[in-house]
Amino acid sequence: MILSGPVRRPPLAVVLVAISMLALGETAGAVMSRLKPEIQRYAAARVTANAGAHGFSGSAEYDDEVRDRAIFAAEAGLSFFHVHAEGVGLVLFFASTLAAATVPWRRVRATLYLLLTLGGLYGAAVLEVGRDVGIELAERWILTPLGIAAIAGLVGLLLVTARRRA
Amino acid sequence: MTVAAEPHPWRVPPRWVLLVAVLSIVCAEIGGASMARFKVELTRWARDAMLARPAVHGLVGVRDVDERILDEALVKFDAGLRLFHMHAEGMGLVIIATTMVAATVARAGVARRVIIALLTTGGAGYPVGYLVWSALIPAYGLERAKTIAEWLVWIPFGSATIVALWWLTGLLALRMIGR
Repeated sequence: MILSGPVRRPPLAVVLVAISMLALGETAGAVMSRLKPEIQRYAAARVTANAGAHGFSGSAEYDDEVRDRAIFAAEAGLSFFHVHAEGVGLVLFFASTLAAATVPWRRVRATLYLLLTLGGLYGAAVLEVGRDVGIELAERWILTPLGIAAIAGLVGLLLVTARRRA
Repeated sequence: MTVAAEPHPWRVPPRWVLLVAVLSIVCAEIGGASMARFKVELTRWARDAMLARPAVHGLVGVRDVDERILDEALVKFDAGLRLFHMHAEGMGLVIIATTMVAATVARAGVARRVIIALLTTGGAGYPVGYLVWSALIPAYGLERAKTIAEWLVWIPFGSATIVALWWLTGLLALRMIGR
């Protein structure tokens, strides 16, 4: 089967989410690189301001270690966001174009757009990184459902494409 | 299968844009393969070049101290090559996707051309900064090499991509509101 002629595009809302994710990913990468000392200072200040939440003991050595770990986690969160926003933006763009071009049923197409777009927001959700309870909350309520939406959308697209080929 | 008379078709960006994007991906692939195939040779070259400039790298002639400094520089040298590989592959795809959106959505000819030019040059140029960084580490040291790559490549090309992407995002939002 050869695709020829014009290829249909997904709705503008889906394209907007994909391009926004790419733009956010690029900007986060630049911020990470240019403002590294400022980010570290800000994270350190926030950790110190919320000493109780981070389990500070009053011992400088122990507290410094806890602070360093929290700063590292904050930086890793930004780094994950940069990588995931770029990747998921591209996945959303190409998968939704594939859905627009190959899925003939309107409702199925709309469902796939919805799942893929929710999955696209996964990139933004990755920014929600905290330690322990924060990570658990982010995983349970944000990362897992949006990740599942992306996977469900892609599997749905795969099934529809396979069915069309048969 | 022919998708005929589609109400909302994609418009393909100019051919030179696609050529640049594919070239970026090809360079990334070659870079990745070269990194794996010539790892030993590349490391040896970088190490010899650093040993030839002890003052630049702060080598003091004490083996234990110098080896730690050399190891750190070699890790960064290798990281630069890896980051070039990853970014050139990714940005090639980003160029294809984003210029397709610009070609389809931007109605005004000048805006469309400027956005496409910024996305293409920025996207293809930015990853080269990692190669520049790696190549300069042996001669200029970690920090100076980073500063040169930053001002020569990362800031101008990265800014071009970021400006174009937010411009495109704004255009898309306006198109949605205007409908």
